[in-house]
Amino acid sequence: MKKNKGKINVTTEKEFVFKFKAGKSDCILNVPLQFPVQENVTDLHGRLMLLHKIPCFVENELKSTLSSFIERETIQDYDREAELALQRLTDGEVDINQLTNTWAKAYAETTLEHARPEEPSWDEDFADVYHELIHSSASDTLLNLEHNYFVSISELISERDMELKKLQERQAAEMDKVMQELGKSMTDHDVNAVASQHFDAQQVLENKWANELKHVTHIQKQEYQQWVIKLHQDMQNPNSTINEEIKVQPSQRTEESEQGARLYEEQQQLEESFTIHLGAQLKTMHNLRLVRADVLDFCKHRRHGSSGTKLRRLQTALSLYSSSLCGLVLLVDNRVNSYSGIKRDFATVSKECTDFHFPRLEEQLDVVQQVVLYARAHRSSKHKDQLEAPRNGCSNEDKNKNLERNSSNILPGEFYISRHSNLSEVHIVFHLCVDDNVRSGNITARDPAIMGLRNILKVCCTHDVTTITIPLLLVHDMSEEMTIPWCLKRAELVFKCVKGFMMEMASWDGGISRTVQFLVPQSISEEMFYQLSNMLPQIFRVSSTLTLTSKH
Amino acid sequence: MHIAKKRTSFLFAVAIQSFEHDDRRALNCVVLLLLELSTCDNGLPLTPNSIKILGRFQLLKTISHPRLCQYVDITRGKHERLVVVAEHYDNSLNDFQKMGQTVSPDRVLQIAYDALEGLDFMNKHGMVHRALSAHNVLMDGKGRVKLAKCGLYHMTDHGKDVDFPIGYPSYLAPEVIAQGTVHPTDSSQGDNLMPTGPKADVWSLGVLLFELCVGRKLLQNIEISEKLKFIITLGCMDDIVTVLAEEHGCLDAIKDLPKNILTLLRKCLTFLPSRRPTPADLLVDPVFEGVSCLYSPFQQPVSLFSSSLRCAHLELPEDIRQLCKGEDEDYLGERSIDEVYHLWCLAGGDLEKELTNKGIIQSKPPVCTPPNFLLEDGEAFGQGRDRSFLLDDTTVTLSLCQLKNRLKDVSGEAYYPLLEDEQSILSQSVSTNDLSCTSSLPLIIRERDTEYQLIRIVLFDRLLKAYPYKKTHVWKEARVDIPPLCRGLAWAALLGVEGDIQARYDTIDKDTPIPTDRQIEVDIPRCHQYDELLSSPQGHRKFRRVLKAWVVSHPDLVYWQGLDSLCAPFLWLNFNNEALAYACMSAFIPKYLYNFFLKDNSHVIQEYLTVFSQMIAFHDPDLSNHLNEIGFIPDLYAIPWFLTMFTHVFPLHKIFHLWDTLLLGNSSFPFCIGVAILQQLRDRLLANGFNECILLFSDLPEIDIERCVRDSVNLFCWTPKSATYRQHAQPPKAQGDGSNNGFGKTSTYYSTDYQDMPKSDLSREPLALSDLKAEVSPRISAEDLIDLCELTVGAQTKRSKTGKPKILAVDIRSIEDFGRGHISGSINIPYSTAFSPDGELVQCPATGILQSFRGRVIVIISHSMKSAAMFAEHLVKVNYPRVTTLDGGINKMKPTGLLTVPSPQI
Repeated sequence: MKKNKGKINVTTEKEFVFKFKAGKSDCILNVPLQFPVQENVTDLHGRLMLLHKIPCFVENELKSTLSSFIERETIQDYDREAELALQRLTDGEVDINQLTNTWAKAYAETTLEHARPEEPSWDEDFADVYHELIHSSASDTLLNLEHNYFVSISELISERDMELKKLQERQAAEMDKVMQELGKSMTDHDVNAVASQHFDAQQVLENKWANELKHVTHIQKQEYQQWVIKLHQDMQNPNSTINEEIKVQPSQRTEESEQGARLYEEQQQLEESFTIHLGAQLKTMHNLRLVRADVLDFCKHRRHGSSGTKLRRLQTALSLYSSSLCGLVLLVDNRVNSYSGIKRDFATVSKECTDFHFPRLEEQLDVVQQVVLYARAHRSSKHKDQLEAPRNGCSNEDKNKNLERNSSNILPGEFYISRHSNLSEVHIVFHLCVDDNVRSGNITARDPAIMGLRNILKVCCTHDVTTITIPLLLVHDMSEEMTIPWCLKRAELVFKCVKGFMMEMASWDGGISRTVQFLVPQSISEEMFYQLSNMLPQIFRVSSTLTLTSKH
Repeated sequence: MHIAKKRTSFLFAVAIQSFEHDDRRALNCVVLLLLELSTCDNGLPLTPNSIKILGRFQLLKTISHPRLCQYVDITRGKHERLVVVAEHYDNSLNDFQKMGQTVSPDRVLQIAYDALEGLDFMNKHGMVHRALSAHNVLMDGKGRVKLAKCGLYHMTDHGKDVDFPIGYPSYLAPEVIAQGTVHPTDSSQGDNLMPTGPKADVWSLGVLLFELCVGRKLLQNIEISEKLKFIITLGCMDDIVTVLAEEHGCLDAIKDLPKNILTLLRKCLTFLPSRRPTPADLLVDPVFEGVSCLYSPFQQPVSLFSSSLRCAHLELPEDIRQLCKGEDEDYLGERSIDEVYHLWCLAGGDLEKELTNKGIIQSKPPVCTPPNFLLEDGEAFGQGRDRSFLLDDTTVTLSLCQLKNRLKDVSGEAYYPLLEDEQSILSQSVSTNDLSCTSSLPLIIRERDTEYQLIRIVLFDRLLKAYPYKKTHVWKEARVDIPPLCRGLAWAALLGVEGDIQARYDTIDKDTPIPTDRQIEVDIPRCHQYDELLSSPQGHRKFRRVLKAWVVSHPDLVYWQGLDSLCAPFLWLNFNNEALAYACMSAFIPKYLYNFFLKDNSHVIQEYLTVFSQMIAFHDPDLSNHLNEIGFIPDLYAIPWFLTMFTHVFPLHKIFHLWDTLLLGNSSFPFCIGVAILQQLRDRLLANGFNECILLFSDLPEIDIERCVRDSVNLFCWTPKSATYRQHAQPPKAQGDGSNNGFGKTSTYYSTDYQDMPKSDLSREPLALSDLKAEVSPRISAEDLIDLCELTVGAQTKRSKTGKPKILAVDIRSIEDFGRGHISGSINIPYSTAFSPDGELVQCPATGILQSFRGRVIVIISHSMKSAAMFAEHLVKVNYPRVTTLDGGINKMKPTGLLTVPSPQI
């Protein structure tokens, strides 16, 4: 499909006539020319000379006649076109108010000169302040403060879990009792009543805690932001010495057991790194990593103040407002919420710690939902406009039908973006919509999920996401139909497509070096992992090690 | 079809500061353009709009006219930001308006005339201004008009590549308004916009002149939509000038205007385009009678390659001393603006930094600006508009202080080197010592040294202006190095391009479809696309035209894949001069790739590769043995190397350095480059088997190009000329070939082709391919042997000894034959007794000598070529480097009378 297909290209043909005398005979050259003339006049002239074997003594004359002919006719075309446009206005075909408003809007939206002055934005000021502080000696204090808030949230959460657990135990006991009585003093109806009562009680308790958490995070966020601003002001004033050191609160909970679990998990994690070169002649260097881990491992915080955690936290905080962000691709279903599956797990993780910079995940998703509705409306109005030029394929029609059914849902290949400051290694999460199709073995490079990856990489490019984690198999969990050949085939497809997209991106950003992490589910075997890691260097060009040899 | 548009970023421009020259010329910049990205579905990578603009921009660099600001450069920054560098002046028409004074009628006429001249010149090149406004009409030191931002409409493809409207509301012509913006937000009327014609500028000029006459701005302080509505409704009025005057309360001022000015205003401010004159019409209008005669029309300077006399319009004043008067020591100011900009960059100039310092580039942290939601086709929603993505139309002046400071020690003489006096070239400048130091530094450093580059550029500029008279001199200097700024022309000079190349190129039919089109179309989007210029749509178009021109004009040759890569460096260097790119390519191919592009080129290539493998054996027997053993023959990897002269395997910046040297060498130099590349990968090749080698070469690892050049020159010096003799090489040029007469190039040992030397009985004779393939080591001619052994036929020594390979002649005939006459200085190792059964050399005094001269060129002399070849093969097997055989054997030497009979004691 050509870009200009929709163009009503008004080319007109005009006859160029050139008369000259050769000896005694009068010659006439008639050439039909397409207007507007696309090609160069000298080229056209050269071609005419050649094609019609024009004698060289009229060469210059032909050239000047030809160029003045083209000039004249082009001006006439311009004039006609311009007057048509003016005519449309006087005829009332085009509304003058609408026209001038469009112009005014275009100016206001795109030029600094006519744009409304920017209202100062709290977010950005805070961003500047934070960025400055975190790169100063105050960073330690900031992190400690964040950690303390984190600890208090964790305590709240564990309290909640405890209470919920207690409730569940109590309810289970009660239920047992009821079940024993079933058939005797109790009927099915009674059991149901008890069950729904339990459920309600649980809901009430959960809501209570959810509100509590929300409240606490809100307060924390406010306090934190105020404190940061104050700290910044104090720092700018050299006279005041503020160093109110914040000590790390030791967490109250004993976490021996968890530590063990974590240790175990880390052993489970496998990873292998590669440095690759892309490009046929000019080569750009990138880092690739193949990791076997749970997708949420990139988000979860380690529960205790071990130094490694803090370092990682610092790294994420340092780069938050920089131009090297970390992104993660999360595969989700077609609904924008956080009620089920991986979405729910992710939401849980994102609540483990207060986000001091960005709105809570629910709020972000609400905005996304609005934007989706807007985008659909926008698209369908555009679509109507284009109806005269029917678009190809009935697949679009199908899609549109689907859309009409529930326009708040998203389609495979589309994705929404959330931003986080509270995850351990990730700033930006791309929620890429996939359907059950990705479980089948026969997806191609034109699959929506793959196109989604391409768009994700493009956003990475335009928004300075330099580290991106991609689920290599396009699934987060393994299931039975995912055999070894299935995995190999899928991995090959994704490797190759990502390679292609990375090369394409090089022309956008001039070949900035990036890190791409390919994530495979924790449940695949070690053997499978090594098979995949053998495949990678065959697809990407791994840069060879530099051997230093002494010269004899 | 759908065009998904996404706003990403913009573009803008900066300029360089004042030459503090009397005419207050300055380089300026800054136009911030907001770009959109568009996607396309053809499976090819999409081209960012910034690259499209960058490609279209290039043409503007060639648009030079005294009434237009010269464009100098455009650079692409992060996030699609473009910075344009152009000439700039501090004064503009705005200054008059700020002071609120009216301008005298004569001055108005002169301004109008100047501006029209500029506009007319643009129209002649198919461009319109579209963005005329008071602050874009600048005044140089002499009060003459310079139009700025004249290329904006052109480079953005009539505004299609940016999402801001081009032009300023008060100055827009009614038809421009009526046609709507290019990017109507409802996107319904869309793309079928005709670009604006030249008459819109006349309206804008009319408004400008009106403002000058009445001394105030029109339509100030009203909203844009009201302004536009007002302009549109002017159509119903009879006398627009009077209406405008009434509206702005300056009817009196208008009434007092002289008649001719009023006529001019009325003509410009004609509502209907068909009745409005074009700039060209106006220029010959009677109102300018008094003005036009004052100024002589601008004449385009004659280019280097043209049929007319370059000095035809040169007029020296009667008193030549007048030329030297009035110089205020600002030699830098006399260099062209692009040279100054180039040096400015070398002296540490950085556009991005300059703009950041002025607070023009400010962007939000990226984490704050991602879109919320993206559709499958990549359309983004929910992305806030970042202010840094708006058009910022400010101009920043670049300061030349740093550059001047860098160059303060450069003496005035350096700007005007004397070419005739051979001694004086570099020796007169004060910093001679510095320079000679610099010239021994690595090339990369030299190319970044401001002073050194200044001197080289000045020198090359002068030499090239004197081309072809100074051809020899260009060769000589090119051997030192070629400054990047002059590379395009310097290469053309080295390749001996001459004549009216533009006319020749014009007569080639580049439009009629030919069968090769399809293949060209497929190859271009895969050729050096990492480069901004070559990946732009303009670049593709030029590629296509040059390639087609070559194919059409060489009917005996065909397009082979690889020709596109070969074209790339020439096109890149001469992006604005397709004719020169074509001419260079046409000169390059017969010299280095003679008959490689035949429809059936197998015999040429086979011979070439065989000679190449002989060269490997000659220079590196160890490697050759290994490669032959694992069967990794040149056919598997070297065809793209030679067919594209390495352009397929190296990025452009490496090709430039490689070819700087390649162009100085003869057609056998590429063999040495090939061997040098292999030697750089030697360790890895030796350690690996066939499969690994194939994999290694499927994507050639990084090569240190400077080392490669150095090595290949070294290898070249060790190679006897006739060793690379090829039967299918370019036949010697006919005597009396114009280009070699008169000021021919210097025929040095290294630059002339073996084929170009006069042929004699002692030269090499053609050899069947199968015979050639059977021999591991190259043959050399008797001529070469005589030359290298310093045997003289006559009494005179032709050449001094230095710079020639040391040689050892080995006679493998029987002792008796040897005794009957041999070449003086040769040693005798009879073939029959030389090797032990396991292939080792048998120890004896003669082999001892051979051993001790290991590393010299060894020439095997025998009766029959067969035994010589076998002996050579044995020597290569035991890792003797530089083994050759004498073509024709001892019989060739007999008629020369150079054989001697040994004295008894040996």
